Amino acid sequence: MFLLALVSCNPDIRYAADEAVTHTSANHQFHAQVRVHLQEKMFTTPLGLQIHSFGAFEVYWDNCRIGQNGIPARPGHPEVPGTENSYYQIPDSLSGIGTHVVDIKGTQTWLKEAGRQVAAKPESYLKLLRQPLLELSFVNLMAGAFLIAGIYYAFLYFNSHTKASTTFLFALICLLFFLLLAAEYIKFYIDIPYTHFYTRLTMVGWLTFATAVLTPFYFAVHYRLPHMPLFTATLIMALLAIYGINYGHYDLTAYLHSITLWFASVLVLLYALLHRQKGALLVLCGFGLSMVVTRYVFFDFGLYISFTIILLCILYLQTLSARQLEQAHQSSQLLSARLQLELVKKNIQPHFLRNTLTSLMDWVEESPAEGVRFIKALSAEFDILMEMSDETLVPIQREIDLCKQHIAVMQYRKEVTYVWTEQDIDPNELIPPAILLTLVENGITHSIPVNNQIHFLLRFRRTATGKEYILETSGENRVRERTGGNGFRYVRARLEENYGNRWQFTAAPFSGGWRNTIYLYK
Amino acid sequence: MNILILEDEMRIARRLARMTKQYFEYQPAHIELCDALPKGLAYVEKNPVHLLLLDLNLNGEDGFTLLQTMVSHSFHTIIVSAHTDKAITAFAYGVLDFVPKPFDEARLFKAFDRLRATTPAAVPEQTLQHLAIRANGAVKLVPLAQVQRIQGAGNYSELRLFNGHTELHDKSMDALEQLLPADAFVRIHRSYIIRWQDADQLLIEAGGRYAIRMKNGEVLPVGRSRYKNLRARLG
Repeated sequence: MFLLALVSCNPDIRYAADEAVTHTSANHQFHAQVRVHLQEKMFTTPLGLQIHSFGAFEVYWDNCRIGQNGIPARPGHPEVPGTENSYYQIPDSLSGIGTHVVDIKGTQTWLKEAGRQVAAKPESYLKLLRQPLLELSFVNLMAGAFLIAGIYYAFLYFNSHTKASTTFLFALICLLFFLLLAAEYIKFYIDIPYTHFYTRLTMVGWLTFATAVLTPFYFAVHYRLPHMPLFTATLIMALLAIYGINYGHYDLTAYLHSITLWFASVLVLLYALLHRQKGALLVLCGFGLSMVVTRYVFFDFGLYISFTIILLCILYLQTLSARQLEQAHQSSQLLSARLQLELVKKNIQPHFLRNTLTSLMDWVEESPAEGVRFIKALSAEFDILMEMSDETLVPIQREIDLCKQHIAVMQYRKEVTYVWTEQDIDPNELIPPAILLTLVENGITHSIPVNNQIHFLLRFRRTATGKEYILETSGENRVRERTGGNGFRYVRARLEENYGNRWQFTAAPFSGGWRNTIYLYK
Repeated sequence: MNILILEDEMRIARRLARMTKQYFEYQPAHIELCDALPKGLAYVEKNPVHLLLLDLNLNGEDGFTLLQTMVSHSFHTIIVSAHTDKAITAFAYGVLDFVPKPFDEARLFKAFDRLRATTPAAVPEQTLQHLAIRANGAVKLVPLAQVQRIQGAGNYSELRLFNGHTELHDKSMDALEQLLPADAFVRIHRSYIIRWQDADQLLIEAGGRYAIRMKNGEVLPVGRSRYKNLRARLG
């Protein structure tokens, strides 16, 4: 703000300048004359003169040579091109109020077809030198901030597991914006021969183009806009059309590209707002503010201030999604802890224990030797469960052992014969703990034994896209539809914990009983 | 005596059957075992049942609806369950007792003893809250707070409600008397159970017949054998 105030201080000179009268002759010679009417001077320091012109030339103020820009061509010596913009000090004796004549005499060997006008602006010499410093201090501040942000987010992207594309996009936009500022203001640091004047403008143009594509694209990705390819293609077509129509009008093209960026982004944000997406309103307000800045701040870098506002909005969205990631991470940890607890609880549920103890009482009373075997089966099941309780994946054979042990316990309770069969099991495979056990428990609860028997058949097979476990319970189903209460929820949660969304779980009756299928994609 | 055991774990069902047989050793008792709800319901519809031993969570089902259906029948229900947290609810719907698993002979016999007791030994917070009534194949719950008094109607009981309506309950006066909280409801006659707080005065009518005047002016008969107790209670 302070810098803005410094930059925007009132003009301290009043003058009028006629249009340049230019004569060109053979050998690329030209002579331009500008009449400057000094009306008021509010400083006592030396007067300066700023000239915008192509070519290499000498400058005369009221016929007094005040300096030169480049070296005009002479017979045998080619032209050494000057810069498009040059500054001169005017002797105090010649800087009084009134009309002065500026003569610019030299050669312009190249870029004549550009037909560039000559312009002369008197100004406090001190201010002419100081103005770029003030502007640069502000611009460098922005550029530095975005360079750091760009690098930071690039590192963040390359070092993170999730590789959020928005993070990469943001890093790219930040770096592009840094380059844009550097390209725009490099003119203050190095002398660019007028022959390369358009090189810089072309660079600025394409950087603006890239920013105008990537910024709305960022919002589209962040807010998961539907028809993304269509949106992006339309945006690029529009930008290219603007480029084509206004070919050669560098400033206008850059301006129109910025406007396109603005409207495309606002469209995406309105979509997001309509779908009550987080942060959309705030970012929209940012865009509103950036428009106000562009409209009412008439500096070279008004555009860049509004860009900065937009980038700050994106930064805000970045932190928002970082927080969401954090929350997702926390809740996944919470889920793991909950599942672990659920596994531990499985066999110490009061009703499981109480029912088991009731049967045990009976075995002890009726047949103590069997009772002892029952206790051993129960403790073996507990052992396996406890051993698994901290794991998220266990060897399949361990899980099968657990199922068999559970069946042994239930056989004592239910006095039903449970038969376990397995086919093509690969002992090297891993599976989340207690999910097959949960399906076996369901099978025991929901199947009516046939001939007082229930068969469990576990099959494994590999396919082109993944691998599949099928657990079949043969018996009569008590109900046709199992909504699958806590059991199925546990199975699904465990699968999600380990495989994200690369799994499928189905459970349905078939003619011989019930079939559970777990499919794990590669 | 016809006793139905609804229990999905065969070992436990046989244990219950064995102990029940032992308790009713000197009574001709038939014991029926069912391991699933549909079979149990079918049996109840077709056969006269006198006592039900019920596991609340049959085959993973939530036994709440089942409980309502069962307590609306004429027979007494004793819950035998591992879900001890359901005890209060079970009592609220009018079960005779709740036997938590694991149980031994002594605990189960205690529940059977209550079949014979004239007054239920209700623990204050485990009291009956609703009476389940069957009407047109559906079970309806009548909050006990709405019941003014109960009158005998053959093998059934008629609930007289404060709103003037009457509802028929499948349980006998004897069975209901066992379930009702003894401090609030009093049996004054073979055919009458009243709210004690509504009683006003004991009367001796001509011919040595006893009666009680209610606060609303109604006069109800008092059984000869119950007079002494009532007088003691009125003080």
